[in-house]
Amino acid sequence: MSNAEWEVVIGLEVHVQLHTRAKVFASAPWGFGQEPNEQVDPVVLGLPGTLPVVNREAVEKAILFGLVVGAEIPAQCAWDRKNYFYPDNPKNYQLTQKDFPVTMGGKVEIELPGASRNVQGEHKFIRLHHAHLEEDVGKLSHSGSGSLVDYNRAGVPLLEIVSEPDLRSAAEAAAFLNALVMMLTQAGVADCDMEKGQLRCDANVSIRRRGETKLGTRSETKNLNSISGVRDCIIYETARQVRELEAGRAIVQETRGWNAENGRGYVLRDKEDAHDYRYFPDPDIPTLKISRETVQRLQKQVPESPYARQQRYIEKLNVPYTAASVLIAQSDLAQWFEVAVAAHPSNAAGIANLVVNDLLRELSASSGAAEGADIAKVSLASCRIQPAHLAALVKLTDEGTISKQQAKEVFTEMFQSGQSPVQIVESKGLKQNSDTGELEKIIQEVIADPSVAKSIAEYRAGNEKAINALKGPIMKRTQGKANPVLIDQLLRKALG
Amino acid sequence: MSQGLDIDHLAKLARLNLTADEKKLYTQQLSQVLTYFEALAKADLPPTADVAMVVDESALRSDEPGKPLGAEAVTKIAPASHDGQISVPRVVDDES
Repeated sequence: MSNAEWEVVIGLEVHVQLHTRAKVFASAPWGFGQEPNEQVDPVVLGLPGTLPVVNREAVEKAILFGLVVGAEIPAQCAWDRKNYFYPDNPKNYQLTQKDFPVTMGGKVEIELPGASRNVQGEHKFIRLHHAHLEEDVGKLSHSGSGSLVDYNRAGVPLLEIVSEPDLRSAAEAAAFLNALVMMLTQAGVADCDMEKGQLRCDANVSIRRRGETKLGTRSETKNLNSISGVRDCIIYETARQVRELEAGRAIVQETRGWNAENGRGYVLRDKEDAHDYRYFPDPDIPTLKISRETVQRLQKQVPESPYARQQRYIEKLNVPYTAASVLIAQSDLAQWFEVAVAAHPSNAAGIANLVVNDLLRELSASSGAAEGADIAKVSLASCRIQPAHLAALVKLTDEGTISKQQAKEVFTEMFQSGQSPVQIVESKGLKQNSDTGELEKIIQEVIADPSVAKSIAEYRAGNEKAINALKGPIMKRTQGKANPVLIDQLLRKALG
Repeated sequence: MSQGLDIDHLAKLARLNLTADEKKLYTQQLSQVLTYFEALAKADLPPTADVAMVVDESALRSDEPGKPLGAEAVTKIAPASHDGQISVPRVVDDES
């Protein structure tokens, strides 16, 4: 296929289960891993005589999302019935918001992959059309001649976030979802655990010749449940549409499914008569007025956006991009890091490297995570190191009290015992040797050794680097306890 | 509008098996209902008439989980069930 000629245009509809305890229109509880139909009540089933009442927390979480993405929060929102006959829904209609959603507009900042892992990629803003608050539907499983229905998921608060067709590649779509997950989890709006189906996505994909401004006919692939699934599906669908058009065929507007196992899309057989949902305003749920006081109160809960935070770490704290990009993925990790930096502000980069490289690696290993697992998802819950103690360790190294080599040893001990580095340094007698007299004696002995005569001659001839060859044997004779800065000073003095 | 009433389509959507007599009767009755609504639609009303009921946030429920029915009670009111799940005729939404 010739991608130079074709441009792909993608819009995503992202369904996110909001973080609440009860369902969106009923008081039935919800949560993953329950026995089938144990989280169902008469309102969920829509039994005669029941009345849905909207969950305040679900509305506020939806508004909070809107504020996080800078959306407009209209003064009123309302719910509609989307009618369809399918057993995943006990009422034969889904309560959703068609004309008056809870948020309008907004945008999401995304970061594209850089040339390598150490290089920050391009940033772009993806516009949102709106987000609406609806109920999730039950789960079907198919066996032989029949289907089985579990209504535990029915009525779970679901925020459908609809993007504008602003995405131009599979990588952009993946970056959009990454950014969205960070924003949703860090604001406490949703947990976004994709393995539990808490975030699902429909991808609208069309292609057009480069330079063309009119949109091509799109296909909609439903129910993608992982970021890699979205990426793979878009790559597949783009190639398929290019093939169709280049063969002189037209793209049919259709609903498609995605088989993650064989990496292929397929046409979904249309639900019978599903094309006409006969939406109408739900007569049970009155239009809801959203007060400006509520919006202002929730505005205060909007956290710093992940990429603003990343920029602050890089520019104000001199943290390398690679470390900053890991820190921002989890707000508790970023907060942990910031507490540590407050205790030793002069070397945030040193703290960041220790957190991202050593701490996360050890936490990942001790949690039994598989090698190569996403290190940014490691939980800090089991971490025994206090942020201030990690800062103290960096400070001890910066001040030359312990060597970098010793710092690694202290870190391992801190990770296991939770003790402060000062305690460990003292109890293990790890302090660097700063006794000038003893060190001078060792230096004299080392430079007297004929095997280093060549290095000394080179150094004296002006080769600065040659001096390093002498430091190893000195460090070795002090069992690594000597202060490297002091060695350097004394050595230069001794060599004149 | 009442002229274009497709009783077979409606019966199918409502999962009703209607006899020929019933079809005739319901077509007539539904046409009357639709004619009534057509009359309403012709009424001369100001275009901004907003009759929707509007409530404020005090009408929302708190996020307190209540007691669910339990799978036994849920499956009992279903026509058929299997292992705590509701059994229905096979519906296809998978790869075809």
